[in-house]
Amino acid sequence: MSDRIQMEMLAASVLLLVVVLELVRRRRLTEEYSFLWILAAVALLIVSIRQDMLRVAARWLGVSDPPAVLLAVLVGTVFVASLCLSVIVSRQRQQIERLIEETAILSAELRDLRAAGATK
Amino acid sequence: MSRALCLIPAHNEAASLSAVVAEVRARRPDLDILVVDDGSTDKTMVIVLRLGVRWLQLMDRMGIGSAMRAGLRYALRQGYDTVIRIDGDGQHRAEDIDALLTPISAGHADIVIGSRYHAAGGPGRNGSGPRLMGVLAALLSALTGRRVTDPTSGFYALGPRAIRILAEHHPTGYPEPELRLFLRRNALSVMEVGVRPRSRLNGRTSLTTGRLAAAAARVALALVIVPLRRREREAARV
Repeated sequence: MSDRIQMEMLAASVLLLVVVLELVRRRRLTEEYSFLWILAAVALLIVSIRQDMLRVAARWLGVSDPPAVLLAVLVGTVFVASLCLSVIVSRQRQQIERLIEETAILSAELRDLRAAGATK
Repeated sequence: MSRALCLIPAHNEAASLSAVVAEVRARRPDLDILVVDDGSTDKTMVIVLRLGVRWLQLMDRMGIGSAMRAGLRYALRQGYDTVIRIDGDGQHRAEDIDALLTPISAGHADIVIGSRYHAAGGPGRNGSGPRLMGVLAALLSALTGRRVTDPTSGFYALGPRAIRILAEHHPTGYPEPELRLFLRRNALSVMEVGVRPRSRLNGRTSLTTGRLAAAAARVALALVIVPLRRREREAARV
């Protein structure tokens, strides 16, 4: 792989890391969900420095072009990340449902209590 | 002393709700009535307040499953041991409530479901009901090992055990067919009784072509997934 591709990969992974950390610093991204992206950035950083790892992986997988392995890893990472996000969104949907149900019940109970208090 | 609650989930049912409540009151004055307003954008809540029934209001449209869970948890906390669900659009007859409640109070079933096609033996037979529903009924019958003649009925009565489980886990989305699978998975005894169908007092089904496709997809997924799920525990905390 050419030095130019290596530099570009390095720049991209450092940029990703910086953006993620900046989002955490500004509290736009909570710590628990930042690890997913930090891991992805660090993995990208490692393969861009240690190119031999990529070549070993390519030979192991029977791929002739090492950058193709990189592409596959990137696609895989994005895939896993979006699946994780779907799980998170689903859980939040359930939490919101539960909250709205409970709010309705509590306000009805409060109404009942007030009515009972008013008649005393 | 058994306490029974009539639960009416309602989304934009201003046109029919008064008639439904009046019919229930005339037929069964002993039942308390709870309307769960599922984020209506019409005058449903105005009607509810005028009627003087008990009510819950979900602040956004969450779907029938969520409305049922909220209503059932409220019922549990208020000490009801029987709940009957009837729709706010007037498609169910209050005079059929007796038939649904009798097996519950006798302890013969955890849940009694009103079937519009009970006498015909199922939808699609003798020209009764849509054919697609006949296929669904056959599938559900095969998967649950019980005869399902009306897979989309939203008219049912629940005993204490069914209330405790469904208060936490009532299926959402387009829940009636999934409910059958859920009941089977969780070993709740189900009985179907025949009820006389009636067209809605108010408008049509909420199913448009797009929603029908989404509902079909959900049901198809449920057919595969629900039998594979672990059993749910009854609500310990109320």
